[in-house]
Amino acid sequence: MSVNENDPGAPIAKDSPLARALDGFAAPGLPAGFADRVAVAAGTRAAPLPELRRPVRSRRWRIGQRIAIGVASFGVLATAATATGLLQQLAIPVHSAETVWASITGTAKAAPAPKPAAPALAAAAEATPAAVTIDGPIDTPEELGEAFRRVDQVRAGRREERRAIIDQRIRSEIERRRAAGLPVPTPEEEARLRARIDAELARREQRADAAIAARRDTMQRKVANGEALTREDITGRPPVDPKLRETVRELRQLPPEERREAWRNLPPEERRALIDQARSRRAARANPATVPAAEPAPSPTPAE
Amino acid sequence: MNAASEPLPIAPSVSPTGGDAALAARLAARDAEALREVVALHAGVLHRVAFRMTGDAHEAEDIVQEALLRLWDHAPALADRHPAGSQAAAHLRLGGWLQRVVTNLAIDRLRRARRIAGGEVPEEEDAAPLADALIEAGEREGQARALVLALPERQRAAIVLTYYEDLPNAEAAAALDMNIKAFESLLHRARAALRQAFAAQGDTP
Repeated sequence: MSVNENDPGAPIAKDSPLARALDGFAAPGLPAGFADRVAVAAGTRAAPLPELRRPVRSRRWRIGQRIAIGVASFGVLATAATATGLLQQLAIPVHSAETVWASITGTAKAAPAPKPAAPALAAAAEATPAAVTIDGPIDTPEELGEAFRRVDQVRAGRREERRAIIDQRIRSEIERRRAAGLPVPTPEEEARLRARIDAELARREQRADAAIAARRDTMQRKVANGEALTREDITGRPPVDPKLRETVRELRQLPPEERREAWRNLPPEERRALIDQARSRRAARANPATVPAAEPAPSPTPAE
Repeated sequence: MNAASEPLPIAPSVSPTGGDAALAARLAARDAEALREVVALHAGVLHRVAFRMTGDAHEAEDIVQEALLRLWDHAPALADRHPAGSQAAAHLRLGGWLQRVVTNLAIDRLRRARRIAGGEVPEEEDAAPLADALIEAGEREGQARALVLALPERQRAAIVLTYYEDLPNAEAAAALDMNIKAFESLLHRARAALRQAFAAQGDTP
């Protein structure tokens, strides 16, 4: 056998010893009546089963079909998640077709810089300098008027700030929906929404004004009688333990889960004191008439 | 390559009455004479393949009969897909179809037997006493049979189809339902295994 020594898988040469050995494996012939036997078996064979209604497909085609179904399902789910805004809620940025096309063609417009919240508070504080200096406890009508003026100034600033935040939220939501290809409210719908918000704000202001007016009457009467207003008179609340205030401040800075855990880990007496404090504040808010004086302090951080 | 005194390795795939498609149409019409023609044309080759795969003449007969009966069952579908006179009819090769069925049936039976026996199919001993004049030939046959039957099923099929039946690689690959590259790799491994076994018997390959 002329075997290529380097290749054991080379074809087997006809005159090689291996070929001679293999040629010894002779196969017998078929018996004489084989054809008759097959013919008889075919004649008595049961009819074959009918063809499957569903065509039998190859394994490759079945796998391809499953992959195609999987990809299509993923696409449908991803589209649904995008359309319902789920991806935005999960902080996954979704670019609209226009944005992507603009980035490809290089015609992307510079995104408008987000307008910062109106620094109305600081501006309002600097708008009009105080004419009257409040020295010590408030015990004259002039000092009380100055305190009212400062409170009104801060309230006006907060009102403007609140309105700016609402405007900004509406604008950013409309932008987000537009970028995601979602329907955006028509100008009429937007106007209706703003009118509803304005009405709610006006109602809130009205309630606050009524409460403030009642408290101011009480404070003016007290000052007219020559009494000095204490911090408790102005805030309408009992003085808060500085330690408790610090605890509340720390709790508020924590994320919700950690806040709950920290709350559970507080000593029972501290927890009880905080609960009592919150309850008394709630009661004071719910029934301001019973509180002797609840006007916010004329300090840099008034309560109203 | 064939063993001596055996019929031609590949039976002509064209029936005397006009092509395999016509033969399939006659089979579909339940023409028993057509089945006899198919037996005459292909049964010899199929039996040799089955015998060399299984090493058992009776098993080989069963396999060939089963393959022919499957052709009988599938003839209507084959005839529908390859109507006589069409372009598809030119591509129908009943010999190739039967070759594939026989090879698969033989591999299935070998695997089933291995599962049941828990090992390789035992080599069949010839119970009949050998005449003195045939002792040498019998020894040679036993050696060749042991070499071939020691191969794994698919490697054995590759050797039987290409060496004993002289099938081109492409047709043998089709009979094993493999692509040509995979078949060539299988054939390479089969030849290497054969040479190794032959060398282990003490002969030079």
